[in-house]
Amino acid sequence: MTKFLITEITRMGPAFCVIGLQREKEKIQSIRPVPAGGNSWLHFPHQRGDIVECALETFPAAKPHVEDRIATRGFQKSSSVAEAETVSYLRKAEIANSLPDLFGCRIHENKKGSGLHAAPQEAKRSICGCETQNLRMELYANELRATLALPSGEVLRDLPVVDRDWRDFIDAALAPARGANRTARLERFLNSQFHYKIMSCPHHFIRLGLTRPFRDLCWLMLDTLFPLPRPEWLEEF
Amino acid sequence: MRQPAISRLDAKHRRLLEDCLRREAGSSVSIPGDDVDLIEAGILDSMGWVSFLRAVETACGAADLGSHLNERSASFAALLSALRDPPSIPAAPARSELLHDFAPYSNHVVIAASSSTFGSRVIPSEEVDRAFGMPVGKLRARAGIESLAYVGQGEDALTLGAKAAQEALRAAACGAQQLDWIVATSETHHDYPSLSAQLHSRLLLRENCGALDVGGACLGLLNALAVAQSLIGSGQAHTILVVTADVHSRTLTPGRVVGEFGGLFGDGASAFLLRGANDAGSKESYTLGEFIFGCAGQYAAAIQVSDEKDGGLAVQFDGEALSRAAITRMEKVIASVELRSGIPRGSVGGFATHQPNPRLVALLAKQCGVSPSTFPSVARFSGNLGSSTCGAALHEILRNASKVPRGERRTIFLASLGPGLLFGGGLLIPDEIRK
Repeated sequence: MTKFLITEITRMGPAFCVIGLQREKEKIQSIRPVPAGGNSWLHFPHQRGDIVECALETFPAAKPHVEDRIATRGFQKSSSVAEAETVSYLRKAEIANSLPDLFGCRIHENKKGSGLHAAPQEAKRSICGCETQNLRMELYANELRATLALPSGEVLRDLPVVDRDWRDFIDAALAPARGANRTARLERFLNSQFHYKIMSCPHHFIRLGLTRPFRDLCWLMLDTLFPLPRPEWLEEF
Repeated sequence: MRQPAISRLDAKHRRLLEDCLRREAGSSVSIPGDDVDLIEAGILDSMGWVSFLRAVETACGAADLGSHLNERSASFAALLSALRDPPSIPAAPARSELLHDFAPYSNHVVIAASSSTFGSRVIPSEEVDRAFGMPVGKLRARAGIESLAYVGQGEDALTLGAKAAQEALRAAACGAQQLDWIVATSETHHDYPSLSAQLHSRLLLRENCGALDVGGACLGLLNALAVAQSLIGSGQAHTILVVTADVHSRTLTPGRVVGEFGGLFGDGASAFLLRGANDAGSKESYTLGEFIFGCAGQYAAAIQVSDEKDGGLAVQFDGEALSRAAITRMEKVIASVELRSGIPRGSVGGFATHQPNPRLVALLAKQCGVSPSTFPSVARFSGNLGSSTCGAALHEILRNASKVPRGERRTIFLASLGPGLLFGGGLLIPDEIRK
């Protein structure tokens, strides 16, 4: 059985991807449990910060998703840690300050429009953490996108936000029961309080990931944004 | 008469959408009907949809197209409607169109929000006297400076400027993506990428938001405001952030310059969010009035700063001559603003001026026959902040004005100087007076 800390739950279409941190001797590294027949989970009842045990099998995963492990038995929760502690472990795992160091390869700009991508065979991993100089989230033509600046000063634009909790928060903010002008109110929140709440949080941290290869390209996305949204923030706008 | 023009524009936009879609989805893609949702029909996925919109933005010069498409379908019809709707898209006409349609200053420009910040270390002026090897108490006694604001570890022009900018954006609840331009000025930042470029990245502005650096040293804020006013007035922009940031404590250091000069300066930043009056929304705003500018070359030798071969700084500083010139010229600028506006200086709510040092501010107030309390105390506690002095003073006056009942707010005069001797002045009029 492998014990690991759940650090990422991302929403990919109708399913969820899960990433955790595993300690091996002194090293903390990311692993991605996947079901035997696919890459994602249709139902995942656990939360970030949960420490779970699970039977995992290593297999020769296709680059760059070298963190994949096949889960052969269900997850058993043993305990959980607070958000700030989760981030303290993430800071000890894969981390980078500049664009080429994120996935150990060159990152290319989409010449046709927006977005950034890596070549599957060049990328050494598919997940990496980093601190940010600044971060902005926006609802752009009904799509949730993030723009951020790395410690190196490099700016990454239009990253799809796949963090489950943030996506759920945005969905809740736009729920019809919340009354009129929901989109405008959400935009106002994202343009004002959101920024302060995120950037002033001592455990602000993000993890960037690469999509599975699509037409031979792996696209960058914002997998995780700490701090996680709090339900009471919905009362503020 | 208007219909054919709209049809021509629609045809142009449609061609552009089709080209961008083919680039995104492949040249073999068949162009869908106007009402077809491109995502639901599987023509584009969500990544491709955003990528396609960004390409459209770049091609037609539209800013922040996506925010106008929230709650609308991912269809050509929705896009064409957003592109057709003039208020939703900042005017970004082709150059030839601009020459025909140029309508200067058709739109009043207001300050929608402001902010200022200072270096986090507050140093008593006596400590600065000692550092420069001057008699202790000289800065306080001769210049009236009680303390200086110096940057701390981890602070620089970029961090100060970004902090001021974020606060101004937050105060106006304005998203960084709404900016059409950032105009920056600094008398101490001489690196590349320039300050505006660094701020552009740090603030995560839209890629097609322009970034411009304006010179003028202590006059920089007025220059930047005038540039922003022109860009908005001519219809090329809706929303502009003007930022000043000056960090003297790392340039004008003991051993490099004399204390009588270097000891006067501190570190700070300011930011102002400018919008066309039609877009401003707030009723509490001030409108930018007419500016005047010039250069009194006869005083050029009073202050000159240049780099030396060995990395040193050559400073020519005739304090006496500069003080006299500063007082005379700023009084003249204030008189000119007064004459042009017809607003007597005695009725002005505040003077956001350059403050070489507090003694000269007191002298200027006396010379102008107005109360010294109408000049915010910036230099007394933070030192001369270069282009940010005027910014910090203006922010302080605007902050105080926001507490005054509407209808009782008064006009603000601006006046500043820069080496050369550059000079400039202007005024800010409360929204209710302009109307």
